Amino acid sequence: MNWLYDSVEPRVMDEDMLKLAVGEQGPRDEAGQLARQEGIVFKDVLSLRLDFQNILRIDSLWQFENLRKLQLDNNIIEKIEGLERLVHLVWLDLSFNNIEAIEGLDTLVNLEDLSLFNNRISKIDSLDALVKLQVLSLGNNEISHMMNIIYLRRFKDLRTLSLSGNPIAEEEDYKMFICAYLPDLVYLDFRRIDDHMKELAEIKHQYGIDELKQRENLSQAQLDDERAQREELEEHKAAFVERLNGSFLFDSMYAEDVEGNKLAHLPGVSELLQAYKDKFVIICLNIFEYGLKQQEMRKVELDTFNECVQEAIQENREQGKRRIAKFEEAHLLSLNAIRDESEVTNLEMKVAEHSKDITELFDMLMTLEMQLVEQLEETINTFERNIMDLVALFIENVQSLMAQCRDLENHHHEKLLEISINTLEKILKGELDENLPYDVRAVSTLFVDKDTIVNAVGTSHDLHLLKIDNREDELVTRTNSWCSHLVDAIHKDEIMRNRRRVKEIHQYVDHVQNELDNLECSEIID
Amino acid sequence: MEVLKEKVEEEEEAEREEAAVRAERGEKVVRPMEVRREEAPMTQEMLRDLERKLSDTEMAIPEKLSTFTKDTIAISKLPLSYQSNTLKEEHLLQVADSFSRQYSHLCPDRVPLFLHPLNECEVPKFVSTTIRPTLMPYPELYNWDSCAQFVSDFLSMVPLPDPLKPVVQEEEKVPPKKYAVKPPRDLTSRFQQEQETKKQEEIKAEEERRLREEEERLLDVEKAKTDPLHGLRVHSWVLVLSGKREVPESFFIDPFTAHSYSTQDDHFLGIESLWNHKNYWVNMQDCWNCCKDLVFDLGDPVRWEYLLLGTEKSHLSLTEEEEDGLNDDDDVENLGKEDEDKSFDMPPSWVEQIEISPEAFETRCPNGKKVIQYKRAKLEKWAPYLNSNGLVCRLTTYEDLECTKTLEIKEWFQNREDMLELKHIDKSTGLNVDYFKPGHPQALRVHSYKSMQPETDRIMEFYDRARVDGLVKREETSKTMTEYYRGRSDFLFYRHVSFGDRVKKLSLNSAESNPRPIVKITERFARNPEQPADEDVAERVFLISEERIQLRYHCRDDHITASKREFLRRSEVDNKGNKIVMTPDMCISFEVEPMEHTKKLLCQYEAMMKLKNEEKLSRHQAWESELEVLEILKLREEEEEEHRLTISIYDTKRNEKSKEYREAMERVMHEEHLRQVEAPLDYLAPFLAQLPPSEKMTRWQAMRVKDECLSDFKQRLIDKANLIQARFEKETQELQKKQQWYQENQVTLTVEDEDLYLSYCSQAMFRIRILEQRLNRHKELAPLKYLALEEKLYKDPRLVEFMKVFV
Repeated sequence: MNWLYDSVEPRVMDEDMLKLAVGEQGPRDEAGQLARQEGIVFKDVLSLRLDFQNILRIDSLWQFENLRKLQLDNNIIEKIEGLERLVHLVWLDLSFNNIEAIEGLDTLVNLEDLSLFNNRISKIDSLDALVKLQVLSLGNNEISHMMNIIYLRRFKDLRTLSLSGNPIAEEEDYKMFICAYLPDLVYLDFRRIDDHMKELAEIKHQYGIDELKQRENLSQAQLDDERAQREELEEHKAAFVERLNGSFLFDSMYAEDVEGNKLAHLPGVSELLQAYKDKFVIICLNIFEYGLKQQEMRKVELDTFNECVQEAIQENREQGKRRIAKFEEAHLLSLNAIRDESEVTNLEMKVAEHSKDITELFDMLMTLEMQLVEQLEETINTFERNIMDLVALFIENVQSLMAQCRDLENHHHEKLLEISINTLEKILKGELDENLPYDVRAVSTLFVDKDTIVNAVGTSHDLHLLKIDNREDELVTRTNSWCSHLVDAIHKDEIMRNRRRVKEIHQYVDHVQNELDNLECSEIID
Repeated sequence: MEVLKEKVEEEEEAEREEAAVRAERGEKVVRPMEVRREEAPMTQEMLRDLERKLSDTEMAIPEKLSTFTKDTIAISKLPLSYQSNTLKEEHLLQVADSFSRQYSHLCPDRVPLFLHPLNECEVPKFVSTTIRPTLMPYPELYNWDSCAQFVSDFLSMVPLPDPLKPVVQEEEKVPPKKYAVKPPRDLTSRFQQEQETKKQEEIKAEEERRLREEEERLLDVEKAKTDPLHGLRVHSWVLVLSGKREVPESFFIDPFTAHSYSTQDDHFLGIESLWNHKNYWVNMQDCWNCCKDLVFDLGDPVRWEYLLLGTEKSHLSLTEEEEDGLNDDDDVENLGKEDEDKSFDMPPSWVEQIEISPEAFETRCPNGKKVIQYKRAKLEKWAPYLNSNGLVCRLTTYEDLECTKTLEIKEWFQNREDMLELKHIDKSTGLNVDYFKPGHPQALRVHSYKSMQPETDRIMEFYDRARVDGLVKREETSKTMTEYYRGRSDFLFYRHVSFGDRVKKLSLNSAESNPRPIVKITERFARNPEQPADEDVAERVFLISEERIQLRYHCRDDHITASKREFLRRSEVDNKGNKIVMTPDMCISFEVEPMEHTKKLLCQYEAMMKLKNEEKLSRHQAWESELEVLEILKLREEEEEEHRLTISIYDTKRNEKSKEYREAMERVMHEEHLRQVEAPLDYLAPFLAQLPPSEKMTRWQAMRVKDECLSDFKQRLIDKANLIQARFEKETQELQKKQQWYQENQVTLTVEDEDLYLSYCSQAMFRIRILEQRLNRHKELAPLKYLALEEKLYKDPRLVEFMKVFV
C-alpha cells in the first residue's frame, strides 16, 4: 500500500467520482435504462463501493443518508471522517488504508460489521457508540497491548474478531486470553473457537475474570442506582415537589446563612432549631406527598381525556372509512357504466349523477369532520377547565402549606431574637462571661449592641423567608407553565389533526373527481 | 316378559346402586289409578267401571309374566335360591299375605298390593328380597344419572299383550314407556282450565291460543285421540329420597329413559306402594293432586303404612323429617337393637349378585344394538367396533309420522382411522356435512358437499394449526374458489380465485389436465405492523385476463383514505423499435401522502416486476389448491371404502399387536420359569461334568457318579445340620453370658437397661426356639430326603440302564 501512496497521485472524492460509482453499481438492464433516464438520487442509494480509488480523504458522502453498506477499502485514507451523516450504516469496510486511530464513528449506532484490517491502529477505543457491533476485523495493525481486549467486553453482540498480524497475536497467551475474556466470541481470526479451548481458557484465567466481573458488576450496580435515582427525581420533578421529601429546603436555608449558623451556638438555640427543623420537615413532607397525589390525579385526568379523545377520533375514522368504502364500490360501478355507455345523453346524465355523488361524499365527510371538531372542542374545553381547577387547587394548597412554613420561621425568629437579646443583656451585664462556651465567644462580635444582634437575626430571617418564597415561586411558575403548555399542545394537536383530515378529504375527492374527468375527456376525444 | 324380567333385574341393580352406595333409598313404586277416584265430577258408574278394569289389570299381569318366562330363561341353571324359598322367606310371604288381607279388609276400594310376584322359576318372592345392593367396579355407575343411563340402555322393550283385550291391537303394542313419558293431555279438563284463564286474558291472546289449540288438536287427531288407558297403567320407577350423598330433594327416575323428574311432575299420577331392600310401604295419602302433595317421610306411619315393623327403624324419623342426618351407622346400630325385640326382619336377597363384564358394560345394549323410536325420529345405537365402519349412533328424522320420508340423517362414528366423527345428511337439500376430529391426514375439520365431483359447490374447513399454510376454510363453487387463512407470516388471510370457462384445446392436446383459466385473483392481507401503512398492501387484485394489477394499501392510523395503485401490464414498442419498459401511464396511483421516491419510474418498475413474480406464485398456488382438492376427494373416497378403525394400544382385547406382544412376553416368562424349575433338578450335572466328555459312560462310572452324588448330598445334609447346631449353640452361649452379666450387675442396672435386657432375652429365646425346631425338623427330614434322592437316582434316565444290571 505504501508503494501506491508513493507512485499514484491521491484522488479527491468529488461528485463526479461518486456519480460514476453510483452509475456503475446501479441497476442493470431495463431497470438500469430507466434509472439512467431518471437519474439516481444519492439519497436512495443503499450500497456503495469505492475501493482502489486512491482516496486520501473521505468527503462528499453527506448526501447518502440511507446508505447501508460502504466499502472504502484499498485506499490511502489516513483519518476516519465525514461519515457522521451515514447513521443507517450497517457495514463499513475501511481495510487496507493508512488509518492510525479509531475515531469519527460516534454516530454510526447501527453498525454491525466493521473492518479496519491492515491499518496502523495501535489502540482499540472510541467504539462506544457501536452497540450492535457483531463483526470486528482489526488484523494487521499495531495493537500491542493485551488490555485492549478488555475494552471489547462491552459489545454484547460481538461474535467475530480478527486480530492476527498484530504484535499481541505473537504473545504466548494470546488465544487463551481472548477466549477467556470474551466468552461470547464464536470466531477468532477466521476460525471457530472450540468448546474445549473455551473451557481451558476459562480455567486458566478464572481468577482474573472473576475479579473483572466483580468490578464490572459493581460499576453496573452503581450505574443502575444512579439511574434509578435520576428517574425518581424526574418523577418528583414532574410532580413539582422534588427535594421536598426531606430536610433539603431547610438545609438550603441555612447553607448560606452565616449569622444563622453563628447564632445556633447560643445556649438553647440548638434545641429550638431542632424542634423547628422537625416541624419544618414534616410540612415539607406533607407538601411532597400532596404533590405526588395531585400528580397522580392529574395523570389520571389526562389519561382519561386522551382515551376519550382517541375513542371519539377512532369512531369518527371508522365512520369515514365505511363511507369511503361504500362510495368506492359505487364509484367503481358507475365508472364502468360510464365507460360502457355509448349514448351521449345517457352518458352526460350518468356523469352528472356521479358528480353529484362525489359532492355528496365530500359533504358527508366534511360534516363528519365538523361534527368531530365540535365534539372535541367541547371535550377539550371541559378538560382544560378541569385541569386548570386541579392546578389551581394544588397551588392554593401548597401555598397554604408554605404559609405554615413561614409562620414557623416567624415563630422561630421571634424566639431566636428573644434568646439573642437575653444573651446580649447578660453579656453586657458581664454575668455569663465565664459560663459562656467557647464557640459563643467566637460569635461575640455580634453581641456588641442591640442593633447588631437584631440586624444579624433579621438578616438570617430574611434569608430564610427568601428561600421559602423562591421555592414556592418556582413551584407555582412551573406548575402553571406545565398547565398552559399542556393545554396549548392539545389545542395545537387538534388543529393539526383537523387540517390534516380536511386536506386528506380534499385530496381524495379531487382524485375521484379527476378520475371521472379523465374518463369524460377520453370519451369526448374518442 | 323380557321387559319385566329385565326390568326387575336391572332395576334391582339400579336399586342396589342407590341403596348400597348412596344409602338414599330408591323405592319401587306401583301407581294405581286412584287419581280418578279423587277427581270430583265422576259418576258412580264410571267409577265402578274403572274399578272393574283395575282389578282386571292387576290380575292379568302376573299371569302373563309366567308365560314369558319359560321361553327365555334356563331355569335349571339358576341357583337354588331362585327355585325355592327358605323358611324365613316363607315366613315373610305369610306375613305379606296377612298384611295384604288386612289391607284389603281395611281399604276394600283399593287395588291389591304388588307384594310377591312369581320369579322366573315361578316361585313367589317378596319384592323387597329381589333387591340386592351391589357396588359395581365402574365409576360410571357411581352416580345416579350415568347409572340410570346405563340401565335404560341395557333395557330393551318388548311390547306386552294387552291385558284387557285378547286380540292384540296395534295401538297397545307401542311400548308403555312412550306413554309414560308424554301421556296425551286430557282434552276436556284442559279446555275447562283454559276457559277460566281465557276470561281474564285479552282477546289477542285468546286468538293466538285458539290457533295454537287448533294446531294441537290437529296434532292429536294425527296421533290418536284420547288415550283410553290414561291412568290405567301400572308402572314402576325409582324414587331417590333426599338426604344422603348431597341429594337436596327427592326425585323420580324413569328407568326406561333415564330422565329424572321432580316429584311434582304431572306425569306421575299417584303412588300405591314403594319398597326397597329393607321394607315395603303402602301409601296412605291422597293422590288427587298427582304426587304433588305427597310427603316422603317413610317413618310416618299415618302416611306410609309399613309392612315390617322390625325394619321400620328410624331412617326417616317420625317427626324430624328435615334432619335426615341419621345415617347408616345409626341404621346399623338400630338394626341390631331392634333385632332383639322385634319379631321379624327382611331376609337376605335371594338373587345373585349382579356381575357386568367389561364387554357387556361396553356393549351396553343387548346385542350391542338398540333402536329407539321417537315421534318422527328414530335413534339407533351400536356398541363401538360392532359395525365395521365404526358407526355408533344414527339419528334419523322423518317428515311424517309414519316415518317413511327421511328428512335428515345424522351418523356418529367412533375409532375411525380417518377421524370421521359425524356425518350429517340433509335429504331435503342433499347437503352432506362430514365432521372430523383432529388428526385427519389432510387436517380436515368439516367437509360439506353435495357431490364428490370436483368443481362443484363444497366447503372444506381445516384445522389450521395442523397445516403449514394456515388454511382455515376453502369454499368452492363451480366458478370460484375462496380460501381463508390464519396465522401466516406473510399476513395473507383471504384469497379468491375466479375461473373462466375452459378453453377448448384443439392442437396442443397432450391429454393432460386442462385447468380452467384463472380470470381474477384477489388476495387480502392483514396489517403488518413492521411496515408503514402506506407500503403495506391490504388487497391486491390480479386481473389476469385484463393484464392489470390493482393494489390497495392499508389505511394509516389517523387517516380515512388509503392509497391505491394500478399497474397496466402491457409492454409496447416505441417508434424507434425500442421496448418501452415503463411509462408513467402504466401505473395509476392515488397516494394519501405523496412521497418522492414512490413517484419514480424505477421504483414503480421494480414494484411491477415483483408483482409479476407474485402473480405467478399466486396462480401456482391456486393451481395447487385445485390439485389438493382433488387429492382430498380421492383420499376421502378411499377412506370411505376402507373405513379402517383404530384400536387403542391400551385396548388389550382388540389390539392384535399388543396381544401378540403380551402373549410372547407371557411365553418368555413361562419358559423362564420352566428353566428355573428345571435347573436345580439336574442333581447329576456337576458329577457328569467331571467325566470325560463324549464318551459313553461305563457302568463303573455310573456307579461312581451315583455314589458321589449321594455322598455329596449326605455331606450337604450333615453340613446343614452342623450349621444349625452351631448357630443354636452360639445363641445359647450368648444368652447365658448375658444372663450372667445381668445377675452380676442386677443391682446397679437402670430401668432402661433392664428393659433392654428383658427384650433381648425374649428375642434370644425366640431365636433359640426357632433354631431348635429347625434342627429337629432337619433331623427328621434328612433321612427321608436322602432316601428320596437315592430313589430318584435309580430312576434317572441316564443311569437307569446301569442300575438295572446292578439290581
